[in-house]
Amino acid sequence: MFAIHADELSKVFRVVRKEPGLRGALQAIVRPRYERVTAVDRVSFDIEPGEVVGYIGVNGAGKSTTIKMLTGILVPTRGHVEVLGRDPHRQRVANAREIGAVFGQRTQLWWDLAFVESLNLVARIYEVPPARYRELLKQFDDALQLGELLRVPIRSMSLGQKMRAELAATLIHEPRIVYLDEPTIGLDLLAKERIREFIRQQNRERGTTVLLTTHDLGDIEQLCPRVIIIDSGKLIYNGPLTTIKERFGRFREIRFEIQESAPILETPADCERVLVEPHRVTFRFDRTQTTASQVASGVMNQIEVVDFSLAEPDLASIVRQIYQGGLRVAEGRP
Amino acid sequence: MRRYLSLYGVFFVQRLKILLEYRVNFLIGATSTSFLQAAGLLALWVVMRQIPTLNGWTFDEVLLVYGLVTISESITHMFADNLWTIGHSYIRTGEFDRFMVRPIDPLFHLLADRFCHDGIGNLLVGSVLVVKAMSGIGIPWTAGNLIYLSIAVLSGGAIFIALNLLTATTAFWLVDSTPVTFMVYNAYEFAKYPLSIYGRGIRIVLTWLIPFGFASFYPASYLLGRPVGLLAWMGPVVAAVFLAVAYRAWQHGLAHYTSTGS
Amino acid sequence: MILAVRRRAAVFAAFAAMVPKLYLAYNAWVVVEFAVQILFMLVFVAFWHAVYANAPTLGGLDVRQTINYILLAQIVAPLVQSRLILEFGGLIRQGAIAIELLRPVDFQARYAVESLTSLVVFAVQKLPLLVIAWAFLGLRLPVDGEAWAAFGVTLVLGSMVLFFTDWIFACLAFYSTETWGLSVVKIAVATFFSGALVPLPMMPEWLRSIALALPFAQGVAVPVSFLGGISPVSALGPVVLRQIAWLIVLGIGSRLVFRHAVRKITVQGG
Repeated sequence: MFAIHADELSKVFRVVRKEPGLRGALQAIVRPRYERVTAVDRVSFDIEPGEVVGYIGVNGAGKSTTIKMLTGILVPTRGHVEVLGRDPHRQRVANAREIGAVFGQRTQLWWDLAFVESLNLVARIYEVPPARYRELLKQFDDALQLGELLRVPIRSMSLGQKMRAELAATLIHEPRIVYLDEPTIGLDLLAKERIREFIRQQNRERGTTVLLTTHDLGDIEQLCPRVIIIDSGKLIYNGPLTTIKERFGRFREIRFEIQESAPILETPADCERVLVEPHRVTFRFDRTQTTASQVASGVMNQIEVVDFSLAEPDLASIVRQIYQGGLRVAEGRP
Repeated sequence: MRRYLSLYGVFFVQRLKILLEYRVNFLIGATSTSFLQAAGLLALWVVMRQIPTLNGWTFDEVLLVYGLVTISESITHMFADNLWTIGHSYIRTGEFDRFMVRPIDPLFHLLADRFCHDGIGNLLVGSVLVVKAMSGIGIPWTAGNLIYLSIAVLSGGAIFIALNLLTATTAFWLVDSTPVTFMVYNAYEFAKYPLSIYGRGIRIVLTWLIPFGFASFYPASYLLGRPVGLLAWMGPVVAAVFLAVAYRAWQHGLAHYTSTGS
Repeated sequence: MILAVRRRAAVFAAFAAMVPKLYLAYNAWVVVEFAVQILFMLVFVAFWHAVYANAPTLGGLDVRQTINYILLAQIVAPLVQSRLILEFGGLIRQGAIAIELLRPVDFQARYAVESLTSLVVFAVQKLPLLVIAWAFLGLRLPVDGEAWAAFGVTLVLGSMVLFFTDWIFACLAFYSTETWGLSVVKIAVATFFSGALVPLPMMPEWLRSIALALPFAQGVAVPVSFLGGISPVSALGPVVLRQIAWLIVLGIGSRLVFRHAVRKITVQGG
């Protein structure tokens, strides 16, 4: 049985079209005109138990709408979804028992309560047996170094502490599936590492299925062997991360700020000149063929460089490249 | 059912822990509503000391009506306060989605999440009024009367909750339901005084449409030996009906929420 | 010289800001509060009719006069507020009080102007209520302009009296953080003694003397009595003089108390 089975999942919203100005506002009340907005368009995928899958897309691509349908908050317009064999909407309570969710920066804990009290309440809500609760508390204490944090109310915690607390609270009832929405946003590198390690460990030890929605490609790289990419409501890629990296993660862009204009600048080996501006030139190079330092020295040997910067591949450009490069969905499916 | 009861206990204790952290604030919250009540009651006393009766009701008898509805109001104030802010504090912020993902009834979660101690002020004031009135009139404190009082007050509280729930449900469509709830809730002002002072239209509304009459006037009439017939006993029935209707509306609203995502 | 010009500019700006406020004067909450006010008025009319069922006059007033008075008093009553203590509390909590005091325009003057302009907004919002009460609830309004003028003058003066009273009370924010609780207590006391709940003539002697010793009645009972036909226009002179006396005493008092209170936190660094 799949952990998550989505079949032609679609969500269409009826939105009132608002014209600007006073007249438009009146019209919206008296005779509203509706538009149909397709947030999710026939998305299908299967996730095996124990997988860690990245669910990525730019803002507005339909990620959170999909998650809402998987968690039972929203009813699909078309298609259907099964989570652990259940319809998450019809069997809301039974499904809720087996899932956990982290919604970005919105905490599920009570603002003014000491963390351990919040944890207590969550454990009671999910009916975690007291002995098991104590065991898990100790395990999480070790794994996340909660220690003194237990006595602190959420409102007094730093971002990193909040996220550790959030994860502990989400996993205290040992859910079989966990939906993580931007779990490392705003955290420094060390804190991110800690969170990622914890997620890895939980997945390893408990076989918890993880569906990770994030903009942070570092998260994806460290945690998700498989990714699903969604854009404008449509699924455009569903397959191994390695394929993506090979195809699109290869290229880097490096930009140099130079003193003189350089029409006579020779392009270094394995490089492609992308953009030339009065005091700036941008190259794209293949990481498998050459390195940033080689390109940089190749340029600096020729001309005086004031400053240079290296651009990380971002999600938007990967999506763009998928459309352009024509990596079709079929290719990526495992 | 028992699980929900014990779960409510846990919610309650945790809420108390938060409240007691702000101890002085706790006290002030609990007593502040009493001051507003006191002003109104002082005004009532000033007026009534000039006249023998209000439409045949003595001052103590009027206090009985006033006190009963105040106790009923305190019940919704204490246990269902979140219904006021469901729109802008829970639905608009997305907090409500969290309730949908937990394995307990979202309405229960909403109500249990906030026990409002401000309501204690009204509970005390109302109780004092009822005790004073009954002693002043000479209504005996028999077991029967006590049971009747308890049922009346609980039914009254249930009616308050049902009406607030019904109006709060509009939040699923309007997002901010507070104005709607405010409007219906404030109709209870009528029920502070004997319904006999109003015209027939208002009396019918307050008996069958926005039935605050069962929170004060009809139980008081019964205890005073005034003829009200069946209406003396219909409080629980009316409360049950309105709760059922309100809950059905809530479920309808929930279905709308899961279909349109607010 | 510059200061005077600036001050005048600020006053002008406040009045100009009034215009968009008038547009926003009507929104969902205003409509609902309007509906609830009508509800309350229905309660009062029925209540007072029942009160007068067996007595022709009470406190020297007949049923017509009392109902008139109560309806008008209930419309005017919201002028009695304790908004300022919450405002001060917020500024102090946010640490913004110092910044506000350093502004070139006088701190109190700004709020005073705002209070006057919101009086105009208030009047606009309450107008429909007045019309409904007159059309359906039996409110009798005077025909002669003199009564209206007396009402207007005493209302403006009275609202300034209320403003200064609120200002003095608001200084408690410098001494306590329980601003919300205090504001509720003040509203309760002030509303009662402003004569919004019961006409002053009906109160027992001891209570009425307290009410007359307090400034709240100047904002509600005094102006409403003119419009409601309880006070004859001929009595306007001494009434206005008394209001002006209140204004002077409270005006000076408010500045003294404020200065003392501010010094407390600047010295203690609160």
